Amino acid sequence: MTTLERVKECLGKIKKENCKINALLEIRPEGEILKEAEEIDKKIKRGRAGKLAGKIIVVKANINVKGMNISCASKVLEDYKAPYDASVIERIEKEDGLIIGIANMDEFAAGFSGETSAFGPVKNPVDKTLITGGSSSGSAAAVAVGFCDMALGSDTGGSIRNPASICGVVGLKPSYGSVSRYGLIDLSMSLDQIGPLAKNVKDVNLLFDVIKGKDERDATSRECPAHPPQSKRGEIIVGILDLDCLGVDERIKELINRKVEEISSKNGWKTKEVNIENIDLAVETYYPLVYVEFFSATRRFDGRRYGKKIEDAAGPEVLRRVLGGGEITKAEHEGRYYNSAIRVKEFIRAEFSKNFRSVDCIVSPVLPRLPWKIGEKISVEEGYAMDVLTIPSNLAGNCSISVPVGKIDGIPVGIQIICDKFEEEKLLGIARAFEGD
Amino acid sequence: MDFLWHKVSEKEWEGIRVEAERVMNNFSKKLERVKGNLVESFFGEEVFEREEGKVPCAEIDREVMFGNAPKKNDDSIIAERGGW
Repeated sequence: MTTLERVKECLGKIKKENCKINALLEIRPEGEILKEAEEIDKKIKRGRAGKLAGKIIVVKANINVKGMNISCASKVLEDYKAPYDASVIERIEKEDGLIIGIANMDEFAAGFSGETSAFGPVKNPVDKTLITGGSSSGSAAAVAVGFCDMALGSDTGGSIRNPASICGVVGLKPSYGSVSRYGLIDLSMSLDQIGPLAKNVKDVNLLFDVIKGKDERDATSRECPAHPPQSKRGEIIVGILDLDCLGVDERIKELINRKVEEISSKNGWKTKEVNIENIDLAVETYYPLVYVEFFSATRRFDGRRYGKKIEDAAGPEVLRRVLGGGEITKAEHEGRYYNSAIRVKEFIRAEFSKNFRSVDCIVSPVLPRLPWKIGEKISVEEGYAMDVLTIPSNLAGNCSISVPVGKIDGIPVGIQIICDKFEEEKLLGIARAFEGD
Repeated sequence: MDFLWHKVSEKEWEGIRVEAERVMNNFSKKLERVKGNLVESFFGEEVFEREEGKVPCAEIDREVMFGNAPKKNDDSIIAERGGW
């Protein structure tokens, strides 16, 4: 299939289905897209095309794509047009990836369900009454229904893995520092990472290879050191995370355990129970960090150079984080909340490091429960607890991936595989085994 | 409560602030269980200086940038002093 044929197929699906699931907020002009597709096909014929030639890509609405409306799904930035490309976009375009549109998301990535977008929730492609998960809700849904081959999302506490699991696609949270954040509108700069979503591990791997690597414009980015894909020990030892006190649905536990047993047995891998001390405090550690860093990040949204003042135009969850962050950063608290969270973050990180000396990866479900109905009433703490299993690898800076491994009540369920920092090659190899044929 | 977006009223604003404070205080109390300190890890390169002017910025589309500004003249964005 040529790029032109493929993109016409995608655009046809978008015209027919996007109004039903609301995955995309903006599509580039069709004429522009088709012309670019033709140019890519000419390059392919000449044997001069990049690694992403033929691939159709959408981008989460918090990553700057020049000339497009990068609203972060918020009324604050509903008229904001990106004056520059994020570094990841430059790399995609250099390799002839065809970016066709901007994906819906939770407002400013402050969410876990896909419900908080100011432009309407994204609907689950499998059951439109259910949430897609978030905050990269549109990216996951767009891949799941075939609007594109790949998507970019961002992950601060699970925002790629969470919707990937619910939508039945593959989503990778790279190690912190392995992908440039230049051009990403930040939620929490010490935790955010841009990452790929696609229908299979091969395409996730391909997109990650293009976007990864040191960027002089992001001082926290670095080259991913080369690691051999197989275990240094010559065999894979799979760590099975102890899920006690984490409130995981028994059906989900059972499905994951069965899958781990099946794949480990098939590949001759050993398994070992792994306990991460203080993992039950991951949510309590994460949110003070996010509240403080998000409050700081949003001071630029004062309505002067662009957009509107955030306090005047944001929805409830964004406001909660801004007002909460403003409260706990007051001088009278002397940094108590943030410092306390940083301290526990280090303990969790050290626990992961300790465990990775004896196992190659740690597996768990991605989510503790099945998705709820859009608009269902739940408490703030219940909502925040949705990320209890994904947050730890953000705190530790590790790489982790969600791979679909089955269904419960017709809803896709993903397994989370976590490897140590900068071991993406090993992670993707193990993920391919879980993916199967 | 649900998590669907809606315009926040003045009355709701204070409720949101109080709830955020409550959540943070609860979380902070739970973290007190963990005793001791570890040295904070450092993410980034070992050499963290770079020469001025050597790293090119992304190409900024000036027209688009000025198009985003609520108030501007030819080559400046206008903001009211003390307006914040």
